[in-house]
Amino acid sequence: MEPVIEVTGLHKSYGNFEAVRGIDFEVAEGEIFGLLGPNGAGKTTTVEILEGLRARSQGQVSVLGFDPEISKRFLKDRIGVCLQATNLPDKLRVHEALEWFAAFYSRQADRDKLLQRLQLWEKRGEFYSKLSGGQKQRVALALALVNEPKLVFLDEPTTGLDPQVRLEIHSLIEELRAAKRTILLTTHYIEEAERLCDRVAIIDEGKIVALGSPRELQERVFGQSRIEVVTAQPMPPDLPVFEAVAKHSLSEDSKTLIVHSTQPARTLPGLIKWIDQKGLELEDIHLRRPTLEDVFIELTGKKLRD
Amino acid sequence: MLNSYWTQIRMNLLLTLRNRVALFFSYIFPLIFFFIGGQGGGGGNGLQLLNIVLGLGVLGGGLFGVGMRAIQDREQNILRRFKVAPIGPGEIIVSGLVTALALQLPNVVFMIFLAHRFLGAPWPTQPVSLLLFVSLGLLAFASLGGIIAAIVNSMQEGMLLTQLFYFPLLFLGGITFPITGFPLWLQTVAQFIPSTYFSTGLQPILRGKETLFDNLPSVGALALTALVGTLLAAKLFRWEKEEKLRPAAKLWLVAVLGPFFVLGAWQMQAKSNIAKEKALNRDVARSRTSLVRDARLFLGDGTVIEQGSVLIKDGKIAEIFTGPAPEAKALRADSIEAAGKTLLPGLIDVRVHLSLPGFPISDPAYFQNLDQNFDRELAAYLFSGATAVKSAGDRPDMVLKHQAATASGERLGAELFSGDLKADGVYDPALAGVEARQAVQAGRTDLLERSLVQQIIPREWFAQVRDGLKRQDSQAAVQNPVSIEAARKNLAEAYRAGAMLVAGTDSGYPMAVHGASVHRELQLWVDAGIPASVALRGATYNAARMLHADNRIGLIRKGYEASLLLVDGNPLQEISATERISTVFFKGERVDRSGLFEQK
Repeated sequence: MEPVIEVTGLHKSYGNFEAVRGIDFEVAEGEIFGLLGPNGAGKTTTVEILEGLRARSQGQVSVLGFDPEISKRFLKDRIGVCLQATNLPDKLRVHEALEWFAAFYSRQADRDKLLQRLQLWEKRGEFYSKLSGGQKQRVALALALVNEPKLVFLDEPTTGLDPQVRLEIHSLIEELRAAKRTILLTTHYIEEAERLCDRVAIIDEGKIVALGSPRELQERVFGQSRIEVVTAQPMPPDLPVFEAVAKHSLSEDSKTLIVHSTQPARTLPGLIKWIDQKGLELEDIHLRRPTLEDVFIELTGKKLRD
Repeated sequence: MLNSYWTQIRMNLLLTLRNRVALFFSYIFPLIFFFIGGQGGGGGNGLQLLNIVLGLGVLGGGLFGVGMRAIQDREQNILRRFKVAPIGPGEIIVSGLVTALALQLPNVVFMIFLAHRFLGAPWPTQPVSLLLFVSLGLLAFASLGGIIAAIVNSMQEGMLLTQLFYFPLLFLGGITFPITGFPLWLQTVAQFIPSTYFSTGLQPILRGKETLFDNLPSVGALALTALVGTLLAAKLFRWEKEEKLRPAAKLWLVAVLGPFFVLGAWQMQAKSNIAKEKALNRDVARSRTSLVRDARLFLGDGTVIEQGSVLIKDGKIAEIFTGPAPEAKALRADSIEAAGKTLLPGLIDVRVHLSLPGFPISDPAYFQNLDQNFDRELAAYLFSGATAVKSAGDRPDMVLKHQAATASGERLGAELFSGDLKADGVYDPALAGVEARQAVQAGRTDLLERSLVQQIIPREWFAQVRDGLKRQDSQAAVQNPVSIEAARKNLAEAYRAGAMLVAGTDSGYPMAVHGASVHRELQLWVDAGIPASVALRGATYNAARMLHADNRIGLIRKGYEASLLLVDGNPLQEISATERISTVFFKGERVDRSGLFEQK
């Protein structure tokens, strides 16, 4: 099957500044593909090139089989876009907003169903200015869907929303996945990418540093789990060598020990036994698989958010 | 496609109707203007007020409406949302313009209705031209606003730049008050301003005097600005405030105003638009409504109404009331209290020589500038209450030129007749001319001591009197021996024989001062034994008959031109009372006598 999005050797420069420095990826039909990276990594530039809003400097791009730079209007008619930080006029009612934007497209979704699906039915007669942040974001999602698009671009759809609302939006996106739409999602929230994306491309300084499913990425980078042990008394610095441990680190107050292990089942018994022998009181113990955050830090040497 | 325009326009309208500030400025604000204007000037004509309110609405609605909306939508990241939809800047701008039209045109109709219903303004007789012209103006100003929106980077900057355009367009363009009172250089500057062409077109179209076709240069310039402005606004359109513009792009603003630079440059030569503005301003002054209350009325044919009032409206005598006067306010008229005064038809002098100064002047330079002399002299007649004169023996080209200038209202001066109008049984003794020539022969200057003469003749001329009297020209002008006694006798005889007596003065000969001599003529007639009422008829009704203009001037009669003279006292008892001029009306305008000699 032909990929919905195909990007090869994409470059974009603004004067002397190279925002995108050779990006390649493909997005298959029905996939939720995430672009993960810190602000200024080149995510938005890449997406805007795909949406036909920006011209590229170099490389090949095909979206739904068309070059977005040439078939700009044609593509805009067939995709759905939910941008970050957009607004609507204050005195516009929710159903009017949908009606307004629907008028620009050749394909029409059933707007009543859309409102119901996005839990906006009760609010359909409300002025935009009277909506909460989450409701406004749901309206933005609704606008991205008024033309029944096969491909939806979601640019940081939950940035600035509180955790509760973020979860709401996540379940809406999962519904879209169920409806077999292809989604390109940009985000700098790790959990979002982990929870929603089939595949993730980690972008830093205009390049893709890793690409794969969240689990693949985690395994590829570490193949390790992390064991965190907290004791009531400081641990002595002369730690023995535990089985299957790649590395370990002790916190400043010597009460928290982090151990990276390729086989936690073999490492753990020895670790606990040693704590007992030293007469330390065990306060807490975690076993955790590595997150994308860890992957990101490992790959780029920086945090996603400052 | 069409659906997208239609929805866009519908939503724009909806949003505007929900915006209380916008509604206030486009609908309530003009109403307040109407209310205040309607209260103030009694005779302030509804059409004039309508003209101002329409001008304000179109300029303000155009300049602020579309542009500021675009800036606001960009600032609030609303346009960003539209950017990703399959819609271009052109559609957004065109929809914005159509919305502005759809908002303003009903408003225009509403204003016309209000002016008609409450201020007595007539329905426009050129409604199609009016609506098209108003639309064109709106589009031109709106596209200007669109360009401003495109080139500014913030709301504040947009507000500032728009205001920077708004006020000159408003005040220099003559929308609120006429620019004819400005110095000439400023009037010339105004010819580079788009709103000038809007106001010089709107007013005559509103008055039904002109159509779109009479204003083709203005129509063309406004249309070109609208077109270029729309294209540029689309080209420079920015969806997001982050998109910056090259500083040089701001110069595109100049391109939009290009048509008006061309028009302005042309007008620096042609000056036709300044002349037109003067004429339009004259129309406004002439269309005021006045009520002269409780005067003695000398109707011109000899009839006298001891207490009467005359309503002047749209340049004509609208009504004559006998007995106590009605209230001016009820008639929406300016009130002119005239108890103890006498109202006469404007005086007519049937024999004047405009090529001659009417003063023994020695400076040969004077005769070089015939144009300016004609202007001065026609103004002197009006100053003296003579609203019509007939030239005798002046250069035909000069006569035609000045006839045109006074007829259009570009210049204020007595109506100028010409031609040889000898008729049987008509006698114009021109005693003032005879007296003047005799005074020159005798070297006497006492005729120049009258107050009216002193007001008309420039001070510096008096220094030249002695030299002037010696001049060859003065001598030549009075070669023939003349006798005022003989002339008086002839007049008395003609009166007894029943001839139609007509007042002509031979003004222009030295000592026969233009304007002042009409009054002297009447005094000389009364001295010769002619009854004052007959003398006054000779300078009004009879003179109009001789000029074949007695169907419109020479009488105080309903429907006649409101060219009238209001004097203190009763000239029927004391003829010199005609010199005590209170007010001169010319075609309905209360003439600003002190400004007559300073017309630019």
